[in-house]
Amino acid sequence: MKRIILIALAILPLAIVSAQQAAPPAASASPAPNVSSTTPATAEDVAALRQQVQSLTQTVKGLQQQVKDQQAALEKANLTGESGLPANPEPSAIAGAEASLTPSGSAVPQFPTEDTSVVSSTTAPAALPAAGASPSSLPGSFPTTDTSVVTSAPETISSTGAGASLTQPITIGGGKAYMNISLDSVFALAYSSATDLHNIEVGDHDPQQRGFNARNTELAFDGAVDPYFEGFANIVFLLDNNNNTEVELEEAFMQTTSLPYNLQLKGGQFLAAFGRLNSTHPHTWDFADTPLVNGLFLGPDGLRGVGAQASWTLPVPWYSQLIFASQNGQGEAGFSFRNPGDNGMFFDRVTTDRAARGLQDFVWIPRFENSFNLSDTQTVLAGVSGAFGSNETGANSRTQIYGADLLYKWKSSHAEGGFPFVKWQTEFMYRRFQAGHGADDSFPVAETFHDWGLYSQVLWGFKKGWVAGIRGDYVHMQDSMYTDDLDRQSRWRLSANLTWYPTEFSKIRLQYNQDFLQKNFFLSAREVESIFLQWEFILGSHGAHKF
Amino acid sequence: MKKTWFIFYIIVVCACSAQAKLNVVATLPDFGSLAREIGGDKVNVTVLAKPTEDPHFVDARPSFVVSLRNADALIDGGAELEVGWLPPLLQNARNPKIDVGKPGRIQASEGVRLMNVPANVTRAAGDVHALGNPHFTVDPIIAKAIAQHIAQSFSALDPPNAAFYQANYKKFETTINAKLQEWGAAMLPFHNQHVVAYHDSWPYFAHRFGLNIDIFLEPKPGIPPSPSHLTEVIAQMKAQHIKAIIVEPFHDRRIAEKVASATGAKVVEFSQFPGGLPGTDSYIKLIDALVSRLAAALK
Repeated sequence: MKRIILIALAILPLAIVSAQQAAPPAASASPAPNVSSTTPATAEDVAALRQQVQSLTQTVKGLQQQVKDQQAALEKANLTGESGLPANPEPSAIAGAEASLTPSGSAVPQFPTEDTSVVSSTTAPAALPAAGASPSSLPGSFPTTDTSVVTSAPETISSTGAGASLTQPITIGGGKAYMNISLDSVFALAYSSATDLHNIEVGDHDPQQRGFNARNTELAFDGAVDPYFEGFANIVFLLDNNNNTEVELEEAFMQTTSLPYNLQLKGGQFLAAFGRLNSTHPHTWDFADTPLVNGLFLGPDGLRGVGAQASWTLPVPWYSQLIFASQNGQGEAGFSFRNPGDNGMFFDRVTTDRAARGLQDFVWIPRFENSFNLSDTQTVLAGVSGAFGSNETGANSRTQIYGADLLYKWKSSHAEGGFPFVKWQTEFMYRRFQAGHGADDSFPVAETFHDWGLYSQVLWGFKKGWVAGIRGDYVHMQDSMYTDDLDRQSRWRLSANLTWYPTEFSKIRLQYNQDFLQKNFFLSAREVESIFLQWEFILGSHGAHKF
Repeated sequence: MKKTWFIFYIIVVCACSAQAKLNVVATLPDFGSLAREIGGDKVNVTVLAKPTEDPHFVDARPSFVVSLRNADALIDGGAELEVGWLPPLLQNARNPKIDVGKPGRIQASEGVRLMNVPANVTRAAGDVHALGNPHFTVDPIIAKAIAQHIAQSFSALDPPNAAFYQANYKKFETTINAKLQEWGAAMLPFHNQHVVAYHDSWPYFAHRFGLNIDIFLEPKPGIPPSPSHLTEVIAQMKAQHIKAIIVEPFHDRRIAEKVASATGAKVVEFSQFPGGLPGTDSYIKLIDALVSRLAAALK
């Protein structure tokens, strides 16, 4: 502010002097605009005006140079000050417009107090207010410049930080901050014919009990770390069935922003890029719960862990990306891998719960994905993924999971708010699980399970804010005469839902699930019906939507 | 093996063509159109959003990542209109040439004084942009500034053709200045008249041509029209004898038709983007169409 005043003070005397120098031609012509509002302008008037304007333009150019020099001097003298130009000297462009619309007769002597574009708009003597005068009789009468444009581009400052490096504050909500913050809360009111809903739902953030559920309130942070990295963290708070708060460090990682050859490295705690759903957060899902195959193969929390990842987008004309990650694969978030299980048991075996012996104990996760546009409105994204590592049910037992996924989306070329659209998404997984003899060879048999499963869902956004969806789920678990485990029951599920998004920051969803659990050697068949009313709100920075 | 050679061939072709011309990506069709005016045949322009779709909600299609990865220059609004879809694309594109602050990043809002900057930011007011209204290109004077910015950036990125870009800008400027007289004259009889719009996309257009476009079918930006709000709008329109309702290609025209039939006003199809209306493949043609359509409706 101080600087603006200084500049203004510096300009004022100069301006007065220059205006006086320019006075003779101005004096002879200055009544013209006033006259023109009462009598039609003559060709002479116009010529006189032109001349006047030309001389004024010359003066102004000189002044501009002087101002620049002054500014440079000021900048040198005042290095600690804010940025060089006032970003928004006038909050409203309308104010500027009014200035440009006032008859120029009065503006002429005062012009140096305004910025350059006001001065040049005097080339248009009072076009719009002079409604009585015939507009076409005055060529050049409509203003062709005004204060809505601050200056010509590269020297200017944008509120989003032109000339800014990545380390400059990121804009949120018009303010400035070094990171984006958002809070996202998902709740569900559930009814189920099963009293043990937690045995029916397979995801940690799914509704787990009859009544109200608050299983996913997440804080998300992201921003540029420095010119080389960006950081992201996601911390989840959930209330368990005893209303105790659990905190999860779901994700916290940094990734590179400026590696050559389309490479990117990532390190920290992160969701593995396995298939479509695993790497996304529950609030972005199209259903209120996890698909069976994701929950039972990749785990109730998805496959995530501490690790590192490299990805490379191939230099081909379509979208093609190779991703390769390695994670510890420990604990519940490494579900089919080095997971000690509940109470030290997994698949009926006492787990070994050992430390990593070598590279074979990490989970290795490759993925290859490609995308094509079938037309202007249709897109396909297809990928194959793998996850390979060892598990805890035996000394040398290993797990391999293979996945294939397909996404098809159509969106209208006249979409409003992203609607209408149709989205079809399918994921298939096959798991080969070597179940060993358990810790200290305590289990009588070693088995190899060949399990597979898939889900397929169609979402139809039929009207702005409204989406209807159906989903089919199936999981085949190889039956066993030895292993008695609730998670080893083949089952299928049908779901239908309707979601209303009042805006992109809130949603209300009603979902119906029908579960069929098939009889196996130890467990009897079951049929369960559930209904969920889910709602969600998002506060904070605008979450961008991944495809 | 054959396939591998094919892929190599494609890579080589891409690499060569990239050197011959400046690869320019524009987030929105209006910026694309200005880039074509300035760049002519010396640039390849790829536009991400379709002219007929809602620019707030564009799918971040993976193919856009490829376009951005190969871009020498990116033109975006810089005023949060694309905030819902551009950031993840840029993250995946990994192209330092188009980072904010680099010569390859042209943010159209630079040097533009945005209107309706909210004093307090709250989403209770609907989809209000914290930096101000981002639909500014429909003001021809602002379009000139954007074009000049583009010309300066192209010149910096491709110095051998600098004179060409500058000449194209001069040509564009002259055309706009001449056209402004025509458009201004056509709009002059309707000075200070009120016009209703579906969404608040037109403050810059209204400001330029002396109109009042300050009643909207949406109760708040981005919130679909409700019956009670429409009743209010109809009453206001009758009281002020409003003759025109502006809708864009992606808006629900039926709602506007209903209001029109209740008030005797006309529904005028408008677009912020060249290509959004038939026969508007350039910026000039778009403003021509907007002015003549509105003038016809207000007569």
